[in-house]
Amino acid sequence: MDTIHDLGGMQGFGPVAVDEPEEPFHHDWEARMWAIARNARAPDWTIDWWRHVRERIAPADYLTRPYFDSWMQTHAAGFIASGVFTLDEIVSGHTAEKHPPPPPETLEQVIARARTEALGFEAPAPAPARFGPGDRVRCIADPPLGRDHHTRLPRYVRSRPGTIHAHWGSHVFADLAARGRHEGQHIYSVRFAARDLWGDDADARDCVHLDLWESYLEPA
Amino acid sequence: MSTFDSDEAARIHQELHHALPSEPALRVKALESLVVERGMVASETLDNWIEAYSEHIGPRRGAEMVARSWLDPDFRARLLDDAGALAQELGFQGHASVHLKAVENSAQVHNVVVCTLCSCYPFSILGMSPSWYKSAAYRARIVREPRRVLAEFGVSLPEGVGVRVWDSTAELRYLVVPQRPAGTEGWSLERLAALVTRNSMIGTERDLSPHVKGAA
Repeated sequence: MDTIHDLGGMQGFGPVAVDEPEEPFHHDWEARMWAIARNARAPDWTIDWWRHVRERIAPADYLTRPYFDSWMQTHAAGFIASGVFTLDEIVSGHTAEKHPPPPPETLEQVIARARTEALGFEAPAPAPARFGPGDRVRCIADPPLGRDHHTRLPRYVRSRPGTIHAHWGSHVFADLAARGRHEGQHIYSVRFAARDLWGDDADARDCVHLDLWESYLEPA
Repeated sequence: MSTFDSDEAARIHQELHHALPSEPALRVKALESLVVERGMVASETLDNWIEAYSEHIGPRRGAEMVARSWLDPDFRARLLDDAGALAQELGFQGHASVHLKAVENSAQVHNVVVCTLCSCYPFSILGMSPSWYKSAAYRARIVREPRRVLAEFGVSLPEGVGVRVWDSTAELRYLVVPQRPAGTEGWSLERLAALVTRNSMIGTERDLSPHVKGAA
């Protein structure tokens, strides 16, 4: 979907705020939100549905509200969409359907459990890989499921030519995963010359690599 | 069950926009209260999760991998071949580590990592991502004018160096392996690892020479 999240190559932004304290979190509420997001979710969410819910935040809010606030709103909207909580519960912070919390985990238990978050995304594809390293390809002009759906094909590479750098195997296809479907598709690292993306102002020595699913690509 | 209905999600966002207080701390406090009341997680577990990501799961992990690759050619070969498997071997596996790829800087190449579509990052290897990494300015600009953005970080690229930008558009995650600086011959693993910064493993720092860092 062509929403505000697809930022690659957009112009008009100022300098990057490079001077930032080293601490991992700059406000307590950011750290709380990070921890909530890693520990409480609806069972039917996929990572790409969650991403898509975040993409549907109104553009002005997406650009101006703090980063972890967008996580809060994504979690809240996701919970409501899954029927886990109501809007009133999200606003009040209280629910009539109370359950005792699970036993608290110690720091050591948390660190051990964090290792179990190592999720792989391999899933078998129905057919052999169509492309191999060195092949010239071109991105399709419109995302495979249409412009009204989640996709990981950014605008800035659509219709642009590139070269297959590597075949990474077959991974769960994000565009369908955002609708709760689990299907494998071949995925490639595709190298784009900076000049093929941005014109002759770009440096001839530079390139951009993206990881793209096979249905985003056609032979060039 | 979710309907996976995109327009419904947008409608819910509008309702939330009007119903929630503006202050993010209040929004998050209410959400925490709610998930704890529902029995999804204990507050003490959240405390420890934050502690884990503040003190234990962080860029020292990536720095150890980089420094070992400088000292041990076999380790380096395995890092470049399958960084995800190596992370698991070291006990560093976790959120976004399975499909980890290491990309190495050289005299001809400088690598830098972004996620233009959201904020994908190798959390279990580098810990929490910096705010600038998640900013609209960085995500928009680094793919289009990487040299100008790198200059803002104080990176000057020698003549003849090409920039490779890695946009994390799928579930692969990237770890930049910076070059070992001159003048570090004979240094121990610990001393070398202490030179390796988080930014150098994202690619927004290049020269890790002790005198450069000392002057910074």
